[in-house]
Amino acid sequence: MTAAIKTEGLTKHYGTTEALIDLDMEVEMGEVFGFLGPNGAGKTTMIRTVLDLIRPTAGRADILGMDTHVNAVELRNRIGYVPGDLAMYPSLTGRDTLTYFANLRGGVDWSYVHDLAERLQSDLDVKVGDYSSGNRQKVGLIQAFMNRPDVLIMDEPSTGLDPLVQREFQAMVREAASEGRCVFLSSHTLSEVQRVADRVGIIRHGRLVDVESVEGLRSKAIRSVELFFDDTVDESVFTSIPGVHDIRTNEHSLVISFDGQMAKLLEAATSHFNLIDINSHEADLEEIFLTYYVDDEVSV
Amino acid sequence: MLANVFTKTSRDRLTGMLIGAVAIAVMLWMGTAVYKDVDLTLYFETMPKAFIELMGIPDGGDAAGLAFGAIYSFMGALTMAGFAISMGTASIAGEEMNGTMGLLLSNPRSRTSVLASKSLSMAAVVAAGGLVLWGAGYAVPAMLGVDMSGYHIGALVFHMSVNAVFYGLVAAAVGAWTGSAKAASGTAIAVMVVSYLATGIVPLVEGLDGLAKFFPWYYFSNGNSVSNGIAWGDMAVLGGLSVLFLGVAVVGVNRRDLRSRTVGASLIDRLREHPMTKKLADRIAGSARVSRIAMKTVSENQGLLVICSIIMFYIALMMGPIYSFMDEAILSIAGQLPDALLAMIGGVDMSTAEGYLQAEIFVITGPATFAVLTILVGSRAIAGEEQKKTMDLLLANPVTRSKAISEKTLAMVWYAAVLGLVTFLGTWATVLLGGLDIPVGNVAATSFLLTLLGLVVGGVALLVGSATGRARVATYTASGMILFSYFVFSFMPLSENYAGFAKLSPFYYYLGSDPLVNGMNWGHGAVLAGLFVALVLLAMPLFERRDLR
Repeated sequence: MTAAIKTEGLTKHYGTTEALIDLDMEVEMGEVFGFLGPNGAGKTTMIRTVLDLIRPTAGRADILGMDTHVNAVELRNRIGYVPGDLAMYPSLTGRDTLTYFANLRGGVDWSYVHDLAERLQSDLDVKVGDYSSGNRQKVGLIQAFMNRPDVLIMDEPSTGLDPLVQREFQAMVREAASEGRCVFLSSHTLSEVQRVADRVGIIRHGRLVDVESVEGLRSKAIRSVELFFDDTVDESVFTSIPGVHDIRTNEHSLVISFDGQMAKLLEAATSHFNLIDINSHEADLEEIFLTYYVDDEVSV
Repeated sequence: MLANVFTKTSRDRLTGMLIGAVAIAVMLWMGTAVYKDVDLTLYFETMPKAFIELMGIPDGGDAAGLAFGAIYSFMGALTMAGFAISMGTASIAGEEMNGTMGLLLSNPRSRTSVLASKSLSMAAVVAAGGLVLWGAGYAVPAMLGVDMSGYHIGALVFHMSVNAVFYGLVAAAVGAWTGSAKAASGTAIAVMVVSYLATGIVPLVEGLDGLAKFFPWYYFSNGNSVSNGIAWGDMAVLGGLSVLFLGVAVVGVNRRDLRSRTVGASLIDRLREHPMTKKLADRIAGSARVSRIAMKTVSENQGLLVICSIIMFYIALMMGPIYSFMDEAILSIAGQLPDALLAMIGGVDMSTAEGYLQAEIFVITGPATFAVLTILVGSRAIAGEEQKKTMDLLLANPVTRSKAISEKTLAMVWYAAVLGLVTFLGTWATVLLGGLDIPVGNVAATSFLLTLLGLVVGGVALLVGSATGRARVATYTASGMILFSYFVFSFMPLSENYAGFAKLSPFYYYLGSDPLVNGMNWGHGAVLAGLFVALVLLAMPLFERRDLR
């Protein structure tokens, strides 16, 4: 089956800054792919490169089996896009804006547009410049969805949306995927990705650190282990133990992200200090995420 | 440089002002070099003193004197004032339009102090430009071995600076009261252009010479500062008016609600709200307006088009009757003016109707008005959308970059064509009103060539904007281009050594064939049209190959 989005060695430099480094990734039709990373990690650069808005320094990207540069115009008929820093024409109303893009694209079913506006509670008769940022974002979402594109690429799409609208948006995302379309969304909102995404790609310093299914990521053996002592402890004792990713020190306790052998950890804890209590649980996505970003030792 | 509002504003604007000042200095050098080659003695001996003063030319009659009159008192003064207007507009209205005013005022700064800092910064930046011009005013003649004795360069530059700050404060005051950058710059530019023209024209009409005092430009030019030193009385008037407008601005900015990222209601929006016009306006503003990129672009600058059209029509319409009322003595003097002086107005014989209309409508006003419109449209076409961050969304649609350029170009052609038509109608009307003997075909030809020149200038802005994604760079480059091409066309032919260069100027293909006298020169028209097409075609690959900003 043809991949919805496929990149090979995609690299983008701005002068001496390496914004995107050798990115290989494949996103399938029918899936929701969450693209996670902190500010400046390269998420927006990746999205804008794939959309041919900026050009790769090296490597290539395909969408629906077509080269994103060579077939850019043909592809844009089949892509819906929400930019991260959404800007539209202030003097046009929401409806005018959608009409404009509908005219450029063709094939827009207005009853569907009205459905979308209703679901997102968007008043289309207000000028874009007079919208609050959340209401402006709704118009941005409608324009991305309105021609039922095969691939939806959205950069931080829930920005400014209230929780109810966010929930509706997530439902729209799931529906698109269940119809066999692909949704690629970058986000900081881990809970959202956890809720809607099938798979997650994690990007850091321009490199794709990992691609995992949400379930797979959770089931990774990473655990959050909290050790309580009767006195302050020296965390350096634990840093050399295989499987320790991240240590946060509180007064008499340590929180360790850990995927090694528990026996080794306990041995270090009991042979040097007086261990009082231990609390271990499966890390949630947030902790896994933090592990990838906080721990400089993680292999990339 | 980001220590406070004053230093940040100065930092943002200093480079532009300095580039402008250096460009003027370069033109002074070129002008002096050209005049140096020409024997001016005879001209100055035969020319009436009154006329010399009127044109801002100092007594004595030498190369430096003429160059200062032509370059500093005219182009330099307008450039500096234009720059101050841009800063005055940005001070309050610009920040509101950008949506940054709220953030700025969330710091412990009062509105008055923000306005004061920005106005002070405007004065400082103007002064910095003045310093460059002052230095160049001595350095250039010295380098060329031209005698400078008896000239007060410092006084002239002081007059120019005070004059510029005044127009900047007019813009600041209107911006402070309305929060609309368009209203601010539009009003200030209109006041400047009208008062500049009126100061030049009104005294030529018998019995009206006292009227000139009602126009601010009079207080800049009246004293002939480069010959006579600073005219303190006139400067006091401009200074007093400046303080008045600053006061008006302070009251204005403090009394109203600030706008956040404003959306101005355009004429069509108002018609859309009115029940009688709603249906038609809805069609124009709604479905038709967004039917394609070109249509949308056409709808975006209606206000500016209307203003430019009114200015063009009004000025054109006035000239025929003024010419027919004008004192015959002045006309005969104008007929004998030396080439060197006539170069400033395109080297025409002002004693004839054709020459007069060309000088007053087509040499400066026409190209300037067209340039304002087409440069704005051209620089906003690609670079403007990028800077407003709407280009990403536009190009996420099935539209090639070349298509975006061609659609925007189509809109630019429409803008230029409308203004060209208005110019033609205004000039034709003035020919009829004044009973002048100029064939309608010649009026049409001149208007058409002017339209093509406007498109070339707009094409430069479009090209630079497409290549760089920076609207301001596009605006500066295109403005510099039109100024230089006017200069090359007007002044180079005075010297045999440089005469050939005139053909390098687009202006040459606009007025070089004297279309008001001789009718259409299709060869010249083809050169301008070809140049415009070439600029647009070149813009396409340059835009195509780069990253969007």
